[in-house]
Amino acid sequence: MSDFLPWLFIVVASLAMVAGLISLWLSLTLAFSDEVMGGVRAQLTTDARRALIAEKEALLQEIRDVSFEHDADKISDTDFEELNEKLRAQARHVLHALDAGAETFRNEAEAQIAERLADEA
Amino acid sequence: MPALDIPFFGTLVLCLILISASYTMAVAMGAGQGRPHLLPSARWGTYATCALVLVAVCVLAYAFQVHDFRIRYVARYSDRSMPWWYLIASLWGGQDGSLLWWAFLLSGYTFFATRWLRGRYTELQPWVLATLMSILIFFVVLMLFAANPFATYIRTTPGDGEGLNPLLQNYWMAIHPPSLYMGFVGWSVPFAILIAALITGRLGNEWVRAARLWSMIAWTFLSLGLLLGCLWSYEELGWGGYWAWDPVENASFLPWLVGTAYLHSVLIQERRHMMRVWNVFLLALTFFMTIFGTFLTRSGLIASVHSFARSDIGQYFVWYMGFLLIGIAALIVWRLPKLKADNEIESLVSREFAFLLNNWVLLGMMMFVLIATTFPLLSELVRGEEVTVGPGFYNKWMVPLGIVLLFLAGLGPLVAWRKATGSKLARAMLFPIGAGVAVAVLQFLFGARLGYPAIVEPTEIYDTTTGTVLAWMSAVAPVVSFATCAFVLASVGQEFWRGIQVRMRKGQGVGTALVGLVSKGRRRYGGYIVHVGVVFMFIGFTGAAYDVEQENALRPGETMSIGQHTVRYDQPRMEADPNKRMIFTDMTILDEAGNEHGQVAPAKFIYRTHPQMPTTEVAIRSRPAEDVYVIMSTVDPSTRRGTFRVIIRPLVAWIWFGGIVLLLGAIISMWPTGRELLREELARPRRLRFSPATAVIALAIAVATMMAWVGVASAQTDSSSSLHAGSVVINDPVERQLFGRLLCQCGDCARLPLDTCACGWADDKRVEIREALAAGEEPTQIQESYRAQYGAKSLAIPSDKGLDRALWAVPVASMVFAVGFIVLMGRRWQRRGVEAHTAATAAASNAELQYDSRLDEELERLEES
Repeated sequence: MSDFLPWLFIVVASLAMVAGLISLWLSLTLAFSDEVMGGVRAQLTTDARRALIAEKEALLQEIRDVSFEHDADKISDTDFEELNEKLRAQARHVLHALDAGAETFRNEAEAQIAERLADEA
Repeated sequence: MPALDIPFFGTLVLCLILISASYTMAVAMGAGQGRPHLLPSARWGTYATCALVLVAVCVLAYAFQVHDFRIRYVARYSDRSMPWWYLIASLWGGQDGSLLWWAFLLSGYTFFATRWLRGRYTELQPWVLATLMSILIFFVVLMLFAANPFATYIRTTPGDGEGLNPLLQNYWMAIHPPSLYMGFVGWSVPFAILIAALITGRLGNEWVRAARLWSMIAWTFLSLGLLLGCLWSYEELGWGGYWAWDPVENASFLPWLVGTAYLHSVLIQERRHMMRVWNVFLLALTFFMTIFGTFLTRSGLIASVHSFARSDIGQYFVWYMGFLLIGIAALIVWRLPKLKADNEIESLVSREFAFLLNNWVLLGMMMFVLIATTFPLLSELVRGEEVTVGPGFYNKWMVPLGIVLLFLAGLGPLVAWRKATGSKLARAMLFPIGAGVAVAVLQFLFGARLGYPAIVEPTEIYDTTTGTVLAWMSAVAPVVSFATCAFVLASVGQEFWRGIQVRMRKGQGVGTALVGLVSKGRRRYGGYIVHVGVVFMFIGFTGAAYDVEQENALRPGETMSIGQHTVRYDQPRMEADPNKRMIFTDMTILDEAGNEHGQVAPAKFIYRTHPQMPTTEVAIRSRPAEDVYVIMSTVDPSTRRGTFRVIIRPLVAWIWFGGIVLLLGAIISMWPTGRELLREELARPRRLRFSPATAVIALAIAVATMMAWVGVASAQTDSSSSLHAGSVVINDPVERQLFGRLLCQCGDCARLPLDTCACGWADDKRVEIREALAAGEEPTQIQESYRAQYGAKSLAIPSDKGLDRALWAVPVASMVFAVGFIVLMGRRWQRRGVEAHTAATAAASNAELQYDSRLDEELERLEES
């Protein structure tokens, strides 16, 4: 093992050095190219939508938890009704926002496809 | 081997890392300031930097393996006789190498975080990368300008190295520091996400979700590191305990306390969109504490058995901490308007408020530990007098706080979010309180007969009213602790049972209901399992109240009795390997009837490179009820007569078992759900990838498994080592109390009190004090004359008067102020919360009601997933 280990470290270091230099080269090439990445722009739109979806899932989880706590006899019927209705109202609002944003999302996707097809042509 | 100027090459790689990290940081900042096309460039720059750090670590590891003693660090921490695994462990055995190791772990986290962030949180990403690079830059600057692990000797190169400290040559060294570092460094990722959120102003729940997994990973590793540190102390330092409140132990405990507070508090933000400023503060403070802890360890400002040599890297840390404080404070102030809560607390009887109280206790404990750890330094700065704050102070104050925290761990699950109905809460508490009371009654009735009396003898650390109150609190601590443990176990058990019943009402069997319950609520039930682990650990901590110890000189064949055991000394024997000589003493443990119950072999190891530092290898026979801990103090080769110290430590094994349960709970609570895994796959449809987050979790499991395996292995070998082990005879409680307050002044073991220190100086001093006591001198008089002779630092606990009183008065006052503030704010929030709630409900009636059926469908899907 003690004869093998030094060579192992040399090999790993060499591979890491090559990988590091290639990554640095790629980074420099991308930094000095003027191209505005369509992917990044699209990602921003996706991010906004993803945030809404995460919000929706958090609310669904909360509705489920409140219902579970009610079933487990931790909160009274009156409190449950109040809380449940409040959470459902928030969730409905998020669902509405998601639907409203779907059009923009679709347009962005179509624009991206058109841009890519034009590039390839 | 190829001829290569390793020291020069290593330093060159460090320079390359600095250039690459600075470039990447600049590009990432550009990407964050309206040039998103630079983001891919920043990502590749990050990968390049991480790869270069790997190169540097491999170069140093290579230098250790080929014994390149031109490098000062290699010569100081290794020698030619060391096996390859200790040569690898030497990478983090000293200061310079451990900084490189820190950078390496940070680059590992950065690599995985960058992979994980791909396709996520695009607005936060550039600033996350820039922050991570800035932390890496700090450590590389530190290495290049103050602690270069590739620095060479100016004059001649030694023929052989000095070797690794014998204390560090054991299996714990291979896993304890890396795990602790993983915990420390791990907080960099959630901190970077937080900074990105503050800079971009995206301060909703997005950053909380992004930081969730990474905070859990860091907390798990930090807990594991602390636990392994306890094991190392118990088995290696050999003084019989697992936690000595050493400044470096405290340094790793501080971020754990704040991090735990954050993990609880952030749940309130996720559920209720509240406490945003508080969570930002807690996460920033956790990261700050990791840097502060590293500063304490590295600067050598505070004496510790762990700390590295006094060096000038402390000033770099002071500047960096100053920069962090100002930077974070400025960002928080700038973003205050965006950190406003959406909701208010609706009731003081709610889970939110229980979490607030939990935060109060955790931060109160942090205040105690922080002030006590830095008090010697503050005392020297303010009044030029050196003082010592020994374990007695911490134990007296932390035990009651710990029990309150434990109680809250049991109370929390019983209280509903938002508002709990009084009658329902009272009903829920009936069984847990009943369990606690039953345990207390049983202990009062039968405890003493079984060796676990409900109340133990009080020992005072001060001769004042505070001292008396603390003494009585610690005297009743065992029964209160066991009762609280029962309360928490019953509370968690009841929560599981209630959950199972809800599922059983839907037609599921008990097993299916339990599996479904845990898999659908991993965070919640994983958290409960963590609480169960903490309970088991508390059972182990409480066992310390019943420790019994005895010392005897024996000839082969002679026996000594302690508790319900008899220990027979069989024979000494000697073994040797290329690295050391080993003198073992074979001993047999017998029960009251004389039946053999196992063999142990405490020993002395004399290392070739450190003959002046023979290590004492303790032998431990571990059972759930108690550990038999045997130390061989001396053995005379000619007469074969040996001196042995035996300690019976009840319930210690429960600490390690509790630790494993805690890790299991942590892994369950951070395990990704099917939906999350599915989303990861959808984000990368082209190729099947091993998720970076899953990889880190797998690593946590691997380390936990390794720890369990090593624990079993160590129990089988029953041996470990110590430099400090020795023999002390205590005749009565007055002696114990007095010796516990006085510190040995021999110069080598300044932090050890006379009731533990076994050196000749301490022995002579004990004889002298016994004579004074026999002559009728009062313990307080003896203590005062000891202080007058050796200075304030010779007392294990500063006095309870003047500025010394600030040691406990400041944290107590802060806690009283904080609890008043919490209750006051809670009442205000409660009033506003009710008003806001009424308005929101009214508004909801006009909302988009046509979404109701879709909502029900989504809820059904969630239940099925």
